[in-house]
Amino acid sequence: MRDQQLADWRAQALKLESEVNNVVVGQENPVRLITIAVFARGHVLLEGDVGVGKTTLLRAFTRGIGGGYQRIEGTIDLMPNDLVYHTYLGEDGKPHVSPGPLLMSGQDLSIFFFNEINRARPQVHSLMLRVMAERTLTAFNKEHYFPHMLVFADRNQVEREETFDIPSAARDRFMMEIPIVVPPAHDIMESLIFDTRFHDVDQLISQVQADVLKFDELNSFAKVIQESVTASPALRKYALDLWLATKDPVAYGVKVSNVDMKRLVLSGSSPRGMGMLMRAARVNAWLNEREAVVPEDIHAVFHETIAHRLVFSPVYEMRRTEIAREMLTGITNAIAAP
Amino acid sequence: MKAPHFLFTCLFAAMLMTLALSVRADVILPTVESQYVTVKEINPKRDAGYVVGDKLERTIIVTVKKPYELIKESLPIIGYEHRYRGQVSGIELAGIDVEEEKFSDRSVHTIHLVYQVFKSGRVAKPAILRGEIVKLRLNGKTEMRQLRFPSFNFRTSPLSVYGEVNLKNEMSPLIPPFKLSAAREQTTFKVAAGILILCALGLLYILGAISILPRMGGAFAKAYRKVARLPDTDEGLQQSISAVHHAMQQVAGHSVFANTLETFLQEKPAYQPAKPEIERFFSLSRQVFFDANTALELDIPAKQWLKKFCRHMRDCERGLTPEVK
Repeated sequence: MRDQQLADWRAQALKLESEVNNVVVGQENPVRLITIAVFARGHVLLEGDVGVGKTTLLRAFTRGIGGGYQRIEGTIDLMPNDLVYHTYLGEDGKPHVSPGPLLMSGQDLSIFFFNEINRARPQVHSLMLRVMAERTLTAFNKEHYFPHMLVFADRNQVEREETFDIPSAARDRFMMEIPIVVPPAHDIMESLIFDTRFHDVDQLISQVQADVLKFDELNSFAKVIQESVTASPALRKYALDLWLATKDPVAYGVKVSNVDMKRLVLSGSSPRGMGMLMRAARVNAWLNEREAVVPEDIHAVFHETIAHRLVFSPVYEMRRTEIAREMLTGITNAIAAP
Repeated sequence: MKAPHFLFTCLFAAMLMTLALSVRADVILPTVESQYVTVKEINPKRDAGYVVGDKLERTIIVTVKKPYELIKESLPIIGYEHRYRGQVSGIELAGIDVEEEKFSDRSVHTIHLVYQVFKSGRVAKPAILRGEIVKLRLNGKTEMRQLRFPSFNFRTSPLSVYGEVNLKNEMSPLIPPFKLSAAREQTTFKVAAGILILCALGLLYILGAISILPRMGGAFAKAYRKVARLPDTDEGLQQSISAVHHAMQQVAGHSVFANTLETFLQEKPAYQPAKPEIERFFSLSRQVFFDANTALELDIPAKQWLKKFCRHMRDCERGLTPEVK
């Protein structure tokens, strides 16, 4: 019974992937990673240059997953209450209060899409921190629950004016930070320029089949995945070694060019981060029709689940993306399994 | 009667004078005080095995401080031969050469002496270059002193002439037995030893036991030996797989997984022929360590297959192309 359930959901997951890949071309790996995050019930942060398709990608997923969808744009004057409610003068000339994006869909909220999250102030980040971690919000003297909510956010790292760095505690709430780059294949680049179907984003998104997944069953099914996919003692040891290496890369002989490794890492991955890594690895194993996690499953999600959690010395923060990538590659190269 | 008496008297007087002179000549003079002379000797390096006719050369360097001076006339002359209890020693002075250097407070005499052996026997005998006695004179006076050079001991050996020696008569427990010529056997032995060493090196090359030759003792050669030694149990299989993983990591310089196999083969194209087997190895590793449900078909028991795989990888390591099915 459970095997059948796993197979059916796998077919749906692959269908969702296929639908998204039809409208967002050349992004197979990010699409796979977001699919993993959806089934591991983890929030996703997309990072990339302007106009590479981050928003389109997330909107496409949102349509496929179904459920309540809310979106907010990160701006410098955005305040926390803008997420909870907004006020207006009604036709009767009296002030009215309406639920904000977080409360609008109630418990059916499936996707909360925070566009350009790094333009919002730290106060907003703080509110999101709680909502992401606990999936609850206290407003109007009432506790609101969002059991099915996933936060999809994006930011661009190039433009830094009027932006606020997301603190490490907030970054740690995201299961993955996925880099989005322009696909290098020339034929894809050419079609992005000349294929007119890519010019109208709303039209493009509408091509994705709506509600491919049953959003309100995702939580329970995610639990099934985590219980069904096992991890052998050899894999547990491997994961533990990876974790220790993120804390003390020098002890594992990991080197990064032009970096003093003894001063680099202030804090390695958190236990929550490693937990999320294994959740994501299990989903990857399930998507690949396996009942046990193998090292390759961890590799498939290692960079995206760990890199944004590492806390570096301030002197290296400006090069964090490049250093984190090299360091994590060094870790996977240094640690063998079995 | 007067004449014979006179002659007798003259003869008697001459005899007395001769006796007196000889007594005067053999008189033992007092030895010179040691602070006035230093003697350094350079003796022959060899002190045995001298046969009749051999020459021994020694050099005596005498430093005589003033007021003494060496009386050159007291030096021995060529042909001089020591006697002992009236018997000649058989060691004759064959040459003497004296060099003198004078300084304000001393004179240095370098005396080169060449002795020749004129004695022989049937057995080795001790002999001696007796210390020569030279005389020194106190400057401006008639008083004299003597100085004896140190002696030098050596041994003479018999010189056998064909026909004069009867081996049976000459047999002695001190004479070692005569040896047969073993040159041919020694040559044969050296050739055989050379062949043996070459064979041993070839065997070591095959087994990959040492790494003194190119492409020997590589990571997979070691892994092959380790796998062959490990027991045919589940634990042994796990250890064998770990050993192969370790070898692959050593060759690559980093950890290698199924998803990085292509990178490994690009970096180490010598292993390209074994690609199908490497993929099966990763499946085996996955089955044993991570996922027992991993599909894998091996025609032979896993441990046996692993040994064969190791041998193929070792061949790749040595630049050979294994026969991979």
